[in-house]
Order: sequence, then C-alpha cells, then structure tokens
Amino acid sequence: MPRNVLLCDDEIHILRAAEIKIRRSGYEVRIAHDGQEAWELIQQECPDILVTDLQMARCDGLELTARIRGDEAIKDLPIVMLTAKGFELPRQELIEKWNIVDILAKPFSPRELVSLITKTLEAAPAVAR
Amino acid sequence: MIGFHLPLVLSCVALAASLALAADRIVGPSIHLGSALVCWGLLAVGAGLPVAMMGWFVRRARAAHEAALRGLDVLAQGDVRSLADGKYDATFSAPPMDVHSADRLNHLRQRLADIGQRLQDLEQQRAASESRLRRLTAKAERTESVLRGFSDPVVAIDKFGELILANQSAEELFEFDAASTEDRVLANLVHCEKLVELLSDTRKRKVPSQRSCDIAIATDDGSEHWYRATARGITADGEAAEADGSSEGAVAVLHDISSQKALQKRNAEFVSSVSHEMKTPLAGIKAYVELLVDGDAEDVATQEQFYEIINAQADRLQRLVDNMLNLARIEAGVVEVRKESRSLNELLEEALTVVGPAAEAKSITLKRDLSPLYLGVYADHDMALQAVINLLSNAIKYTPGEGRVTLRSRLEDNMARFDVEDTGVGLAEEDRLRVFDKFYRVHKDKDMAAGTGLGLPLVKHIVEDVHGGRIDVQSTPGEGSIFTVLLPVAATLT
Repeated sequence: MPRNVLLCDDEIHILRAAEIKIRRSGYEVRIAHDGQEAWELIQQECPDILVTDLQMARCDGLELTARIRGDEAIKDLPIVMLTAKGFELPRQELIEKWNIVDILAKPFSPRELVSLITKTLEAAPAVAR
Repeated sequence: MIGFHLPLVLSCVALAASLALAADRIVGPSIHLGSALVCWGLLAVGAGLPVAMMGWFVRRARAAHEAALRGLDVLAQGDVRSLADGKYDATFSAPPMDVHSADRLNHLRQRLADIGQRLQDLEQQRAASESRLRRLTAKAERTESVLRGFSDPVVAIDKFGELILANQSAEELFEFDAASTEDRVLANLVHCEKLVELLSDTRKRKVPSQRSCDIAIATDDGSEHWYRATARGITADGEAAEADGSSEGAVAVLHDISSQKALQKRNAEFVSSVSHEMKTPLAGIKAYVELLVDGDAEDVATQEQFYEIINAQADRLQRLVDNMLNLARIEAGVVEVRKESRSLNELLEEALTVVGPAAEAKSITLKRDLSPLYLGVYADHDMALQAVINLLSNAIKYTPGEGRVTLRSRLEDNMARFDVEDTGVGLAEEDRLRVFDKFYRVHKDKDMAAGTGLGLPLVKHIVEDVHGGRIDVQSTPGEGSIFTVLLPVAATLT
C-alpha cells in the first residue's frame, strides 16, 4: 500500500509541481491550499508525512505544526517545511522546537524533496489507517 | 605716676635749700633775702615742672588710650583701610614720653595695622570671590538653561553613583522629578539598567573614554523608543583624578534614534519581503524546469503547460523588478515621462484586462462602473496603467474569495476621478494613514498576501508627483476600502 503524503501550499504552481513529482515517485498525495484545509484533511485521515509551506494566509505552517504536536493521536507525524524566508528565519531553533524533519528553502528541488520524504518514511513505521 | 616723680621733686627741694645755705655763707646776711627768693624760685620750679610734665603725660596717655579705642571702634566699624593706614588718629603717631609705654603703644599700633591690612586683604579676597561666584552662578545658570532646553535627555552622576544633574527631557523620559525627592541614587530614580550600568562603568574606567550603547525604552502605547546613550567620564576642574584613576563622575546624553531604527527595520523587512517575492516565482521556475528535465511531463500537452507556467512565473518576477526599479527611478527623478492626452476609461479597461485572471482565481467579481463621458487625462500610458493595476491588484489581494472589486470613473469638479472599491479586510485608522509609506505593510494582513510594501507608494508617486493628481483612501475595517484618485482633466467630450 503506497504511503500517504499530505502537501500544503498556497502557491498553486508549487503545489502542483511537487504533487506531480511525489506522485510519480510512487506515493499517494493529497493537497491542501492552506493550513486550515490541511488540518481538516488530517482529521479525516492522518498522512504518513506532511509537507507544508511556512507562510500561508489561513493557519500558517507553524500554527498547523503546533496543532499537530498538541494532539496526542498525531503528535509524531513527520513534518517537512518549505519556506521562501531566508536568514531572518531561526531555522535550527524551529527544527528543534517543533521536531521538524527539515526546513527546505525555496526555490527547492522537487527531486530533493522526494528524496527527503523517502528517507524519512523508510525510518518511520507506517501509520495504521 | 606721682610716686614715680616724688624723688625728683624732693631732690629739687633739697637742691634749692642747699643753694640758699651756701649763699648765706658766701655773701653774708646782706644778700639773705635774694638767696631766699632764688631758693623759693628753684623750689617752685622743682615742684611745678614735674607736676606739669605729669599732666602733659597723663593727657598724652589718655589720648593714646582714646586713639587705641578709636582704632578698635574703626576696627569694629570695618573701616579696615583707615585702620591699616593708621589714619583714624593723627596724634597716635606722636611718640609718648615714656619709652616703655611708647614701645607698647607702637606695638599695639603695629598689631592693629597688621590686623587692618589682613582684614583689607580678606575684604579684597571676599570681593573677588563674590565677583567670581556671581560669574560662576551666571555661567551655571546659563549652562543649566542650555541643558534644560536641550531636547536630548542628559543625566550625570557623581563618584558615588548619585545623580548630580538631569535635564527636563531626562526627567520626562524616565518619569522622575529630581527636585521632589531626597533620594539621589541613580538606580532608584532611573529604572533603566543599561543606562545606570553605562554611567557606572564609564565613571570607573581609568582611561578617559567615550562609551555608548543603544537603549530601548517602552512607551505608554506599548511601542519602543530607541536611544543611543553616549557617556563620558567627568573630572572636577583643576583637581587630580581619584587615587584609583577613576573619574569624578560621568555624564550621558541620550539621542533619539527611533527613526533610524525604524528605517533599519523597514529596510530589513523590505529585503525579506523582496526576497520572499522573488523566491516564490523562482521556486516555480526551478520546479517545472526540473520536472521537464526529469521527464515528468507525461505528454506534449503537459510539457506545453509546464513551459507556460515557467513563462508566467518569469513574468511575475519581471513585474516585481519593474516595480522596484520604477519606484527607485521616480524617486530619483530620472524617469522619462511621456505624457499625452488620452482616455482615462481606456486605461481603466486595459488594467481590468490585466488583473482579470487574478480576480478569477479568487472568484472575485470585478465590476465596471465607468463614466459615459470621455475623460481625457494628460498621462504617461505605462505609468498610469501601472498605477491602476497596482490599485486593482491590491484590492484583489486583500479581498477574501467571493468578494467584489468595483472600478468606477466620474467627472468631478473638473477633475477626472476614479475609485477602486473592494469588500476586503479594510484598514484600521493607523494603517490607513501609513498605507502609502514605502515598505509599510499592515501587520495583521502580512500573511494574507505577499507584498513588497512598494505598490501603493509607487501609485502615490505616479498620481501626485508625475501627474499632479491626488490620491486618498477611505476604509472600514472588516468591510472594505475605497481608493480615490483625482487627475487633472485634459479634455472632456460628451
């Protein structure tokens, strides 16, 4: 059974490019256009990994992460974050605070994103659905 | 004194008697009467002379005594010059008959003259000191007046860390009144650890130096004011430094650098914002190029689609760069303006076409309400179009999906007017006043849409500086905004 990736970004082109690459790498992909939508999709079915943008209009990546980490049932969900922010972002601090797999800076390589997802999921047990 | 002259009187009497007896023996009784007369004469002289001398001496002694008393009176009256000159009594300078008394009187006179001289010196010193004190007081008052009028807060401490000076600005900034409290300890008056530490450290330093630090002070409205405090050690005039080499105290002047800090912050936000705006289309370009390279486009149609996306993202990047350059060029006054008489409605229609897809993507209705009149404006096509596009894009960005953006044009008071009205998030009054400031972005709406904080400042420049028009905004938070532009009319045709 293919592992499930939830992809969340308010930039439709980025969302689509990442979706194509991840799907073609053999994963099942669901997409959300903002943090709130992603949260609702997680409530319906918890993915094996979440890939989310940091800055979004309705519930940004950090708020979504905080909600997930605060929910006992899904608190260990692996999270990869994407951001167009640069030096002003306390990257390492956020990774440690929220137990984030990695924060990829935009523009990112879809190839590298898939490679990170694969590596993470190989180390993580499949979530019972 | 009578006792002192008695032997002399008796000697004179004895001498007279002896002379009378000797005359009897030598010349005989015939001349007895003459001898007696001589003897009695001598006796009278022997007795009278001392008495007269005594009287004269007593008068002199009394005069000297009175002169001395007058000297003391002069002394008591403070006429030290007369005392020093000995002018208070001319008779005082005459030597007394008695050597011993004369010495004593001379000594007393000399002492009084010395005292007079000393008092005169002291009087001169006091006058000089008074004059110096007046000068110093005037100087101190002037200095204090300058310090009081100094808009930069000034605080000084002594070697014990106690306040010796604070001007009005400092008292207002740190909210204390030095005159109404006995407590002089700076740390108790000024609740600013960094400033207290800076002054204390500066005072303790052995080498005279200038030190500074930036201090943030919270204001009542919750915002921060930044000050650069510059401190120097102070030494008392003509006094040696303390044994340990430290200063007599330290003085700090606080200069308000809030505007500099705000500019730095806005610049940092601008760089961050521009970086974010550039990286987003770049991310699209990179991702689709990689998909094409990896053969992830399943068919030619998908490939074409990817190329189109790449092209659109490149255009987006181009617009951002153009916006930045346009603003920089307009601000620098180096932009070439080509104004011609043209139809405002045509410009508005053209702008609507450009922003149409963005409105559609958010399901926002773009409503046209254009004047049936020909509104001729004397305008630079590209710049005016850019201004309208920016206003419409802005309205679309900050209007939630399913909302409405209306573009309206009218002739009003011989001016061509157009409004961009939206049903968006609206602006609070403080944001409304600053929305045309360069780099300013409404904090609460930052995450709603990416922006550089350059769009509206650019519009204002184009409307007001390039076309001599006016721009204003009315807004109700939660309901929407209306941006109104007035341009001088070149021609109107019905």
